Amino acid sequence: MMHRILDTMWGQANALFAPFRRRRWVDLLLVAAAFGMLYGLILLGHEWTALQRPQIQVDLSPLALPKYTFFSMMRGLAAYALSFVFTLMYAYWAAKDARAERLLIPLLDILQSIPVLTFLMPLLLVMVALFPRSNVGLEITAILTIFTGQVWNMTFSLYHSLKSVPSEFHEAGTVYRFNWWQRFKWIELPFATTGLAWNSMMSMAGGWFFLMINESLTVGDKDFRLPGLGSYMSVAVEQGNGRAQIYAILAMILMIVFLDQVLWRPIVVWAQRFKVEDTVQNEAPSSWFLDFVRGSRLIRRWDLWLARQRRARAHRLRHRARERTGARRAERVAPWMALGALAVVTVLLLVGTVGVYHLLAHLPGKAWIRLLKADALSLSRVMISMGIGVAWALPAGLAIGLSDRLSRIFQPVVQVAASFPAPMLFPTVIALLATLKVGLGWGSIVLMLLGTQWYILFNVIAGASAIPSDLREVATSFNFGRWQRFKELYFPAIFPYLITGCLTAAGGAWNASIVSEYVSLKGYTLQTFGLGAIVSQATADKDFALLAASTLVLAGTVVLFNRMVWKPLYRLASTRYSLSK
Amino acid sequence: MIHAVNASHDVICELKGIQKSFERGTGKPLRVLEDINLDIRANEVACLIGPSGCGKSTILRIFAGLIEPTKGRTYYHGEEMKGLNPGVAIVFQNFALYPWMTVESNVKTVLQAKGLDEETIKAKANRAIRLVGLEGFEEAYPRELSGGMKQRVGMARALSVDPEILFMDEPFSHVDALTAEGLRAEILDIWDDAERNPSSILMVSHDIKEVAYMADRIVVLSANPGRVRTIVENPLPRPRDMRSPEFLRLVDQLHDIITSAELPDVEVSAPEPSLLPDLVEPLPATSSSDILGLLEYLETQGGTSDLFQVAAATHVPFEKVLVSVKGAEMLDFVDTPKRQVILNALGQRFVRANMDDRKDIWKAQLLELRLFRMVMELIELHHGELKEDELLSELQQRLPMENSEQTFDTLVTWGRFGEIFAYREERGILTPE
Repeated sequence: MMHRILDTMWGQANALFAPFRRRRWVDLLLVAAAFGMLYGLILLGHEWTALQRPQIQVDLSPLALPKYTFFSMMRGLAAYALSFVFTLMYAYWAAKDARAERLLIPLLDILQSIPVLTFLMPLLLVMVALFPRSNVGLEITAILTIFTGQVWNMTFSLYHSLKSVPSEFHEAGTVYRFNWWQRFKWIELPFATTGLAWNSMMSMAGGWFFLMINESLTVGDKDFRLPGLGSYMSVAVEQGNGRAQIYAILAMILMIVFLDQVLWRPIVVWAQRFKVEDTVQNEAPSSWFLDFVRGSRLIRRWDLWLARQRRARAHRLRHRARERTGARRAERVAPWMALGALAVVTVLLLVGTVGVYHLLAHLPGKAWIRLLKADALSLSRVMISMGIGVAWALPAGLAIGLSDRLSRIFQPVVQVAASFPAPMLFPTVIALLATLKVGLGWGSIVLMLLGTQWYILFNVIAGASAIPSDLREVATSFNFGRWQRFKELYFPAIFPYLITGCLTAAGGAWNASIVSEYVSLKGYTLQTFGLGAIVSQATADKDFALLAASTLVLAGTVVLFNRMVWKPLYRLASTRYSLSK
Repeated sequence: MIHAVNASHDVICELKGIQKSFERGTGKPLRVLEDINLDIRANEVACLIGPSGCGKSTILRIFAGLIEPTKGRTYYHGEEMKGLNPGVAIVFQNFALYPWMTVESNVKTVLQAKGLDEETIKAKANRAIRLVGLEGFEEAYPRELSGGMKQRVGMARALSVDPEILFMDEPFSHVDALTAEGLRAEILDIWDDAERNPSSILMVSHDIKEVAYMADRIVVLSANPGRVRTIVENPLPRPRDMRSPEFLRLVDQLHDIITSAELPDVEVSAPEPSLLPDLVEPLPATSSSDILGLLEYLETQGGTSDLFQVAAATHVPFEKVLVSVKGAEMLDFVDTPKRQVILNALGQRFVRANMDDRKDIWKAQLLELRLFRMVMELIELHHGELKEDELLSELQQRLPMENSEQTFDTLVTWGRFGEIFAYREERGILTPE
């Protein structure tokens, strides 16, 4: 009885104080964050319009780091916004226009295999010529370079989603007379959202890989720097300032964790609502930040306001007919526009091909032979690094993924490790290798491994934790030995995941070859013979012909390898080793 | 007084005083089994039957040594068992075949696990495949087979290791009805061969007819937490005729046992509110649309029907019908004398009303229940936004024996239909409608 009374009284008291207690601090924090953001953007604006100097002073004090980190983050986000818009347009076009698809998809395949660094030099020269006085050109170059590290994956993801929209959905759209925009808005985009959210997260991580190079660009005898986390790190490395390097690494980790918690996790959780399958997941992802924001009264007001606006607009649009005819007209014009765009792309490609051909025509045969040798060497480095990665990540990933407790602990750690730009660790590792008397020839394998092994580990963990429990029970109840269990259950079950992991890792390893076969340290350069080193060298020497040739060889190798090795393995994985019947 | 229990029949496995709780992420562990004492004897078919959540499959897995009980002991031929039960092979509900292996490799792989030589493996695998009629399918992959054929592979795999007891966990629930009929007869033929293993079969099922057809002893369990309610001996001679009067009488009897467990005719006098203010009614796990369907069906039958007949006519599993009836009874739409279900006056009014009136009646009936009144109070107390987690922990406290997530789901479908509150899944909150 007593606690009943207490309960009632407590309830009353609670009700009285409710208006004061109601999460006001959430709103306050949000407003404060908005102002912080605004201030940062003003700083960034100053930076953009600042006079271009050949060498800006990078302040190595840790107090300057928040500003630099913010600048780098904004570049990454700007690049992501660009990637998103590009993805929407390119993927939609490729998925809808059968004629363009035949050109656009192979083109995307090739673009994906071109190393990020190749885009850098031509871009930089054009941009500096366009904006000779201010930093705008440099900034655009940095953003576009990050963009080329992010975008291709996302585009592929959206393209595949758009192509695999179940026909029933389309039929429903046809029956109810959706126009193309309604179809896109209500069917295609929601269907693709889950995949796009995951891929965005991974792509953003990939974009950071060349951060150090993007922000301290050396072309020919010119050295351009932009204030940012990457340039901070590269100055710290040049000066051999160990403490500043550690600060930079910490700042990077913080930024990755911050973006993960405040941006990606909420987006992934939000995207859950677009999941098509009705199957219940064991553990739905959750985000404290999303819950936090949803608790805010400001945000809720905003939601309400939006809803009201929408209703008002719907009211105004009672006379739907006009909108309809507008959309219909657009649908009639679209094919012609697509055709025109396709013609433009084709012409551009032809011009580009002719240009590259002229460049390459001057290259002597001996140079080609040297390139092929370098290619073989780099290829074997990539393969060895993958082999080592699989050798340790497979057992480790299985051990983690098969245990609920371990995967809860390690999965977030691995995710952060996979997003961390490995080149930031190169100076430390190289110093370590030097004391062990390992040259860069073998050492570059270690450097490649540093960035790519996480993809393998990450995927193996995901695969291992997805093994259905009844299949594991069979192995237990029939008393399988350790080796038999691995050979007949674990390995086949994670095979599709392993292939995905290796494919991503191989792409990463090729990109890493460029920075791991050619490393600048404290004012001198370490390099070893290999295709990646040649790409770097050509960029540094402003040697267009060599850059084009080495890129061509590299892209050719990657495309060929994808076609001959990964595609067949992928097919095997998705037919024979697929767990979904 | 000494019973000559063990003299007349050999006990192969035995559970003594078994209790099992599962850890959950939050709150108290969920107790699924309480004080289970059970044996499996030589040359018998034993079946476990009971409502969902009674821990049928858990008992089977404890017998097999796949799950450790929280309390209690397991015996195999009189010796206490540690780890796996050496005499057991399992046929799984979802077949659990390795999709990357052919039919033959799926069978062979469990023989390899026993460390046999290649020739013996080949011979045993062939015998098992022949036994279940899978010759010609050796090189097929599971995905090429129908449900019935897949379960034949599951049976071949289990039989190939020559188990003393064959365990089957709802083996025919994912097989179409006609095929299941055939498979049941076949498995009994295989068991009937007294010269060979398996000596006994332990089967988990939710199908009363299936149990009456197959079992010598039928273990009826009750839920929350699972207990042995009673054990029914089935003396009918084999082969059994599913249409014979004796058979139908047994099925009836089983229905009565399960029904009386779930829908006691004795009016449970509600505890005095002042004495037990915390108690609320447990909700049967059934959706509002199932209850609606049941009422509609009763209306077409002139307002009255037999529980068993409902199940047979609607092709809905008996236990599912049972919970729907329980739900309808709770809302006071039906009366259930014995196995009859009768639409009462309110129920009739409800069925014949249009959708809006239906919702009003439903809502009024919901608010008769203490649980829903509690939820409404809680919503009010939390200023119109009740967090899912808070309600869950409240449910866990007030209904400690129930699965609170399941109760929550049921509560949401009932409440949504009655429009007494809205549930926003992505934010995990309940708000007043």
